[in-house]
Amino acid sequence: MKRLFIKTTLAVLLMASLALTATAQGTSETKQTNSNQNQSRSNVTQTFQLPPTPVEQFTLKNGLRVILSEDHAIPVVSVAVYYDTGSRNERQGRTGFAHLFEHMMFQGSENVPKAAHFQFISNAGGTMNGTTSSERTNYFETLPANQLPLAIWLESDRMRSLKVTQENLDNQRSAVQEEKRLRIDNQPYVPAFLRVDELIFKNPANSHSTIGSMEDLDAATVEDVREFFRIYYAPNNAVLTIVGDFDSKEARRLVEKYFGSIPRQTAPPAVDVTEPPEVVLRQETFYDRFATLPAFLLAWKIPARRTPDFYAIALASSLLAEGESSRLYQKLVKGEETVVQIQSNLDERRGPSAAFIFAIPKPGKDVAQIRRAIMDEIKKLATEGPSAEEMEKLQNSLRNDSVRARQSSLFRAQRLSEFALYDGDPNLFNTELDRYLGVTASQIKDAAARFLNTDNRVMMEIVPGKGAAKPAATAQAPGEPAQPASPAPQVPPAEAAQAPTTTATQVAPAAIKPPMARPEQPQQPADAPKQTEPGSQPKRP
Amino acid sequence: MLLKISRLLGVALLASAATFLTVNAQTMNQTEDFRRQAPPPLASKPLNIPKPYETTLANGLQVVVVEDTRLPLVSYRLAFRTGSANDPAELPGLTSLMTDLLNEGTERRTSKQIADEVARIGATLSAGTNSDYTTVAASALSVYGDQVLDLLADIALHPSFPASELELSRQNRKQGLIAQRAQPSFLASERLSRILFGQHPYATISATPESLDAMTRERIMSFHRSMFVPNNAVLIVVGNVKRDAAMKRIEELFGKWAKGQTPTENFPAPPARTARALYVVDRPGSEQSNIVIANTAITRTSPDYFPMLVMHTVLGANASSRLFMNLREAKGYTYGAYSNLDTRRFLGTFRATAEVRTPVTGASLKEFFLELERIRKEAVSEKELMDAKAYLTGVFPIRIETQEGLTDQFVQIKMYGLPADYLQTYRERVQSVTAADIQRVATQNVTPDRVAVVIVGDASAIAEQIKPYSDTVELYDTNGKRKEMSNAGGNNATKTTTTATSAAPFLGIWALTITAPNGQTLPATLTLKQDGQGLNGSVQTQLGEATLSEIKLNGSNFDAKLKLDARGQIMEGTVNGSVETNNMKGEINLKNFPPLPFTGTRDK
Repeated sequence: MKRLFIKTTLAVLLMASLALTATAQGTSETKQTNSNQNQSRSNVTQTFQLPPTPVEQFTLKNGLRVILSEDHAIPVVSVAVYYDTGSRNERQGRTGFAHLFEHMMFQGSENVPKAAHFQFISNAGGTMNGTTSSERTNYFETLPANQLPLAIWLESDRMRSLKVTQENLDNQRSAVQEEKRLRIDNQPYVPAFLRVDELIFKNPANSHSTIGSMEDLDAATVEDVREFFRIYYAPNNAVLTIVGDFDSKEARRLVEKYFGSIPRQTAPPAVDVTEPPEVVLRQETFYDRFATLPAFLLAWKIPARRTPDFYAIALASSLLAEGESSRLYQKLVKGEETVVQIQSNLDERRGPSAAFIFAIPKPGKDVAQIRRAIMDEIKKLATEGPSAEEMEKLQNSLRNDSVRARQSSLFRAQRLSEFALYDGDPNLFNTELDRYLGVTASQIKDAAARFLNTDNRVMMEIVPGKGAAKPAATAQAPGEPAQPASPAPQVPPAEAAQAPTTTATQVAPAAIKPPMARPEQPQQPADAPKQTEPGSQPKRP
Repeated sequence: MLLKISRLLGVALLASAATFLTVNAQTMNQTEDFRRQAPPPLASKPLNIPKPYETTLANGLQVVVVEDTRLPLVSYRLAFRTGSANDPAELPGLTSLMTDLLNEGTERRTSKQIADEVARIGATLSAGTNSDYTTVAASALSVYGDQVLDLLADIALHPSFPASELELSRQNRKQGLIAQRAQPSFLASERLSRILFGQHPYATISATPESLDAMTRERIMSFHRSMFVPNNAVLIVVGNVKRDAAMKRIEELFGKWAKGQTPTENFPAPPARTARALYVVDRPGSEQSNIVIANTAITRTSPDYFPMLVMHTVLGANASSRLFMNLREAKGYTYGAYSNLDTRRFLGTFRATAEVRTPVTGASLKEFFLELERIRKEAVSEKELMDAKAYLTGVFPIRIETQEGLTDQFVQIKMYGLPADYLQTYRERVQSVTAADIQRVATQNVTPDRVAVVIVGDASAIAEQIKPYSDTVELYDTNGKRKEMSNAGGNNATKTTTTATSAAPFLGIWALTITAPNGQTLPATLTLKQDGQGLNGSVQTQLGEATLSEIKLNGSNFDAKLKLDARGQIMEGTVNGSVETNNMKGEINLKNFPPLPFTGTRDK
């Protein structure tokens, strides 16, 4: 609720990723180094227990993985279906297809007429949506608890018998193209975030946007839709999760009845998301015809989610620019008063991922000097590491966010599904916090040194207006000294050699921003119909 | 169909295999009549709506405590019944700046100390305002509940408004004023508020550079003293707390807070709208038209609130309402079309909105007006009425699933003086609405013949389309300044001006920069010449050369047909642009290709 400007600009950047994205930009560490801090605080640290979420799981004979988690506090039930397909699975010439397909999933199936999905859910007193990211496509609804059979019926019918017509395809193509205009093309800064992915990632599976190109959307055919359905929308390529006020036996009976006879399909082709370590292009100027203030983006290619380096970078990123106590906020927005806004973000993927810093300098300030100041601060983190106070902050934020987020049955359903789909272990929802808490100050320091340097960094200047591009292939920004990567530590940190077996990426959406560069594309605006009952935490006009 | 058959065949084959092997055939059941219809709901389950403990301190501060032990969390909200509507007329944005500065320093803590202390316990602390009320909010793990409440009390009651922080905030807010003009939604709200509310304070939704400059530290401090008084506030606590302990702490922190005067509000009435009018905010090159059709409507405490809520649900509250079904699902004009019921303390608005692609701006207006007339003229069907009620009563428990959601409800109740049993009776009140109620409130509050229609979009591209929908069109630029309509649009296709005198500003060689849909730019050269046969022209690009034909000039605008020979592939399209001395801007439209905007300068 700080500063009109920060909020509004952030809102713009995040527009493209409505819905509570499950990103983890984590924060935390439990270390003996801060046990001498404050007696009452370390007592809290020692006694804190994340309230466990029950997890019951089974797999149908057709390969559908099912997760049930009972909670009888409120008579509400959330159902999520996650399919293992996203924009990473798209071939060239068909970018944006996974998302266009997501829209088609609301256009009717054998027993559910066109667009009736919306009606069935609304008329039962529920809310629903679907979203697409690089990693997966999800569908979800929250309903009064006694409407669980309706959700099961709707989800099973479209999994087994989606109806695809030319008319529906044309209509949804239009809706998606308006979505692209609304949330990307017509917005300041957002197109730059899509472009920067093309500078970071070489592999087309990683570099293209989830929304895709207008030309590719135009090119999609009914046959493409049918083929995509056959390949990816099979029970053995999906996870179904039910969270809330229901009886597990009854839910299991319903799931078996409605999903049990949907045939298994051949497993989809494997997707190659491998990347060379280096970024594609280290510097570019992006002309933004709607931006009214210049800005810049720094971006790094980083290891996949749930690797030791990823956890450490996530925490480093948080320390640098997450919130008003962060280093760069205090240094640049406050201290030097050279930027109006600065923020850090992660794009968390199963394969190579990315870290970003986005800043809007004040008019008349030396932008090269601002970037030097950012790199100096990163270097300081990379040589001295986080302080004990910072470690405590990370730890407590992570605890708070972890507990707060799980109030929502939908959030739980989404995160359980994700861990099941990506990692084969929904119980990571209960244990991932500990994985973050286990990251040490020295791991954060080492990761900052090895990844957040100028050797392998994308720097994008965002300039208002429509100028001629000057893609400069220079190695570094003018006026900025090189800051090479430090070599990997001789003795790797404890579990750095391989991914740990019990872990989880669990952080609340409230404090954690979704990745800006790889927006989720929902079926409809997730926040649209809220105006009737304005929240009591007022929005800035 | 093909798909369905092959799928069913697949099921059949698998099923027969299973039978043949005689294993677990029950999951391959072929008798699937149960799929043909939506299954009936299970037995419904009661919702336990928490009953709050309520009390009032001696200084008038109301306190609401809800013990919620589900998770080790607590949320606090201190809410004041004044908002930006209470800004002094000459200082729009004062409440907003004042609340923004609350956590930038207190008598005991610096800005950085506050940020660090909040972060150290992993808590959140923020303040904000809307037109009707202002809140200071805090949340934390319940073990840190006392600490974060202490911070909340400190910033709300003892802010010091340091001069340096004020100056920094002022400077950054000025940048914010520039940044918000990049957003179509802001431009639409700004224009609409001015039109609908006239002299009423709701007309102003943002500070101005001048008002920011005029906000002195003394003014902010005295404003804070007069607005933040306990007898105009309520403190809401929801979470894993014990009521007695919470009350003890609240008394310690807030009990000595001195009572003050509650403000008296006597705001001018909004202008009466007597006819429909169109207001276009010209955003050249805009990818879409943001349409808002609106008029003033009921307040939050109106007895018609529930009929309006149900009417709004039928018409446009969600993805199964009429507007969405029509403009998106049937027509594909937009990503979403909705209505919006914005009920406030003194006045409300009822709006219909969508962001549509430019060429269907007029067509969208047609559908909007059709739906607005229909909800007035025809009684809603029994099915629609039932469905809307089921939606509202069904999503109600979802809203109070989280502490934040529950706290929001209590803030609403207290800020607008809603009945104490509001949550308990909400669903009954929804159920009691009739089709006749809906038609009555629609007739009063949905007024297509008197609405203001605000469109943020490319004026020249929509001018012709919107003409049929209003006799009055006012044009504004993105800075909110009135402009003349003459140069925008109005290019009656029959008017072909190719005389030597009017062509002069266009003739010559122009260096163009074309922006491709991916944001990349490519250089091009436009040549416009006049000879014995009239005007002719060409565009050279890396892709090939394009020739222009049927060049038409109108004021400072031109348009022409264009044929591009892209390495042997012939593409047809149009080009249009406008010239201002040595600068040009415009758009190239090729068939089956997104528009290619360009800018250009005269090549000397």
